[in-house]
Amino acid sequence: MQFLQQLLNGLTIGSLYALIAVGYTVVYGIVQLINFAHGEVFMIGAFGALATWSLLFKGTTAIWVLPIIILGAMLASVSVALLMERIAYRPLRNAPRLAPLITAIGISVILQEGVRLFYPEAKSSLSFPGIDIVTGPPIAIGGLDLRRSTIFIILALIVCAVGLWVFINRTKQGRAMLAVSQDPDTARLMGVNVDRTIAIAFALGALLAAVAGVAQGLHTRTVTFNMGFMAGLKAFTAAVLGGIGNIQGAVAGGLVLGVIEALATQYLGGATWANVWAFVLLIIVLVFWPQGLLGAKVVDRA
Amino acid sequence: MSNDLMTPDLDDTVEPGPSYPQFGTPMVLAGSVLVAASAFLSWSYDREPLGDVSITGNPAPTQYLALIIGVLGIVLFLGRGPLARFFSWFDETAALRGLGFGAVAFALAVILAIFANTSGLINVDPGGWILLVGSIALAFGAEQLPAGRTHADPLRSKTSSWTEILAIIALLTGVLFLAAYALAMEDGYAFLALLAFLGAISATLIRGGFFQWLSIATAKHRQVLMLGAVVVAFLFPFTQDGRDANMTIATQIIVFAITALGLNIVVGLAGLLDLGYIAFLGAGAYVSALLSGSATSHLGFQLPFWLTAIIGACVASTLGLIIGTPTLRVSGDYLAIVTLAFGEIFRITVNNLDGINGPSITNGPNGVSGIPELNLFGFDFGQPHTLGGFTLTRYANYYFLLLLLGAFVILVFTRLNNSRIGRGWVAIREDERAAEAMGVNVFGLKLFAFAGGAFLAGLAGTIKAHQDLAISPDQFVFLESAFLLAAIVLGGMGTVAGALVGATMLKLLPEKLRFLENYRLLMFGILLVLMMRFRPEGLVASKRRQLEFHEDDQELAEAIQVEHLETKEAQA
Repeated sequence: MQFLQQLLNGLTIGSLYALIAVGYTVVYGIVQLINFAHGEVFMIGAFGALATWSLLFKGTTAIWVLPIIILGAMLASVSVALLMERIAYRPLRNAPRLAPLITAIGISVILQEGVRLFYPEAKSSLSFPGIDIVTGPPIAIGGLDLRRSTIFIILALIVCAVGLWVFINRTKQGRAMLAVSQDPDTARLMGVNVDRTIAIAFALGALLAAVAGVAQGLHTRTVTFNMGFMAGLKAFTAAVLGGIGNIQGAVAGGLVLGVIEALATQYLGGATWANVWAFVLLIIVLVFWPQGLLGAKVVDRA
Repeated sequence: MSNDLMTPDLDDTVEPGPSYPQFGTPMVLAGSVLVAASAFLSWSYDREPLGDVSITGNPAPTQYLALIIGVLGIVLFLGRGPLARFFSWFDETAALRGLGFGAVAFALAVILAIFANTSGLINVDPGGWILLVGSIALAFGAEQLPAGRTHADPLRSKTSSWTEILAIIALLTGVLFLAAYALAMEDGYAFLALLAFLGAISATLIRGGFFQWLSIATAKHRQVLMLGAVVVAFLFPFTQDGRDANMTIATQIIVFAITALGLNIVVGLAGLLDLGYIAFLGAGAYVSALLSGSATSHLGFQLPFWLTAIIGACVASTLGLIIGTPTLRVSGDYLAIVTLAFGEIFRITVNNLDGINGPSITNGPNGVSGIPELNLFGFDFGQPHTLGGFTLTRYANYYFLLLLLGAFVILVFTRLNNSRIGRGWVAIREDERAAEAMGVNVFGLKLFAFAGGAFLAGLAGTIKAHQDLAISPDQFVFLESAFLLAAIVLGGMGTVAGALVGATMLKLLPEKLRFLENYRLLMFGILLVLMMRFRPEGLVASKRRQLEFHEDDQELAEAIQVEHLETKEAQA
């Protein structure tokens, strides 16, 4: 029973990782750039939702608020993601690979500090609003404690993953993304607007990160300005675990990482060591199995 | 580039937009005179800002800076005429343009200081406005000046050795006094004004071609430069006369710079990105702290310092080897993430070895405290000493020890860089496959870069533990690694001077610009992004690196080639 409970916890946290990891993978698949600041986009999403709620619905806990605060979160993270793509990454597209990476660290610091300094009282952690149906008391199923937010998170992952799959495989713009990821120059010759496609990849990642931000907020009921760092690092681990550049891989990697972490918490030295095991896993995967669980791509990008 | 004189470039004489050459000359002169004269006027109604600039006829230190800018403007202006015979290679027109921009920045910093320290712009006296107007006239006039006479190429100028040696000595002495003066400043805004002033002077010298000349001169007299730098660094504590505040900063800067130099081997020379580098400093510090006989160490025995230093460096080096191993398979961004993960593993592990979550070794989040002072050969580093009438505090003692280590690290760095190993690293950095095909032992050299860099950082860590008397895991967070990387990126990858400049800036600016304290990290982030966008090779770039970041710039490539050849010739 203990095992099943941890499995459930793992799937919850893993779904969050998966939602963020997709953002890394989509962007990497198209521009071969690890958008280090993606964790911060997730954080901005959570704060966007919080801001929407405190501005419009302060005190409300009804379910109809949820879609609107998710929209608010998406608006915040997509605009931040597009801005950073336009201002910081696009001018560096042909620069040596060190440059965008360091830029990403810079952006990450700017976003964290921006929120810490300019969001009211964000210097310490803020409490996230509850939505009755999602954050109510847990449901007991045969000895298992099923938290309502868990259901919400897993549902959100399923909806987002299906939506993303449809977008990429069934729409014109999605096919353009596939084309650019295979060969940007040829895609450009075929009339694909490469710049716009890259921007859309950033926006897609940000959309999912925003959902993850709201989900995390509802799950833990707190948000902090530095919540994006660890989450981003873990999500990146998940993306690598699944094979970076591969969307199904990111989802699978997120779930596997979440479950491994939860089990490690139970059986390998408690919660304080869980992060260590996650990173050890990352290193082992990168060294011995760089293509990841589902990725066919050979890692040869320098 | 066959003749001795630079061919005048026709494009340079055609300015975009309307040009009024007839106004240029009087405006530059009038602007310089105004800036110089404003030094003797009152800048502010209030006495508070910039250490009292409210008295007419009695310039405050900051006002002397304006005087220097103004006089420099006049001298450069005359340099276009009567003084042209000296320093035939100095391009006064370009230098004046640099000075103009710098003067405006200086004037704006002054007005900002008055604005921020008093109730508003109403407190700026006419003198302050005259400074601003004068500097704007200087900048605008300099832009309108017709391109000056043709100049000799500073790279090919033949000056006498004595002039060059004197210039180097003068420069180093200037640095010493400047350091003492700048560090003694308490007022953040006055420091900001000084920075703007230094910016103005450097812009003048860079635009005038002084640094190109200097690079040849220093290449010719490398020993003089080295010796002079050592002497200046050695003399610095004597300018402090027993005060601790600045010596603390200075020791921190050296520890940081040594670690940054170690990282520069990995990132700057071998081109391997490491985002967890602070763990090596931490490993050295923890080993040293635990073996120091501190009351809070759970190991319960003490070793002499020289032994702990070696053990600490070796432990760090072993960690470096472990972190380096994935480089066989992993490269680029992936390597960055792997090293980041290693850094986090280190931090979490020392945090957890507290007896509750793991074996009791490091005291967890509390860290190791009560680390005894160093005692080498009967010399107690904790006691103040007197030398020739000067008091040297405990920080000065550690400063000298760190200075020795720093000199050793610089020696290792430059020797490695100029060796077969260093060339191997460059080859790997530029094209790993080609390097391998040419017979470079890629994996071995990568491992060596990691292990060697880690060794130096670990060594610095062993001293740091004693100097700080206490260490805790929160000194070794990811942000510190990011700071180290930023020091190199800011200063210049692959150069000694770059790491030193970057480390000094990143440690000194937050100490002196206290009024920005809350915005420190924000500024840091913005700085990183701007640097990557506009000058990715850093302030003091290695020429080779500079070219790697500007592959399409043909002119730069030619200029660097000429400089390279001249340097070789000068050294021969």
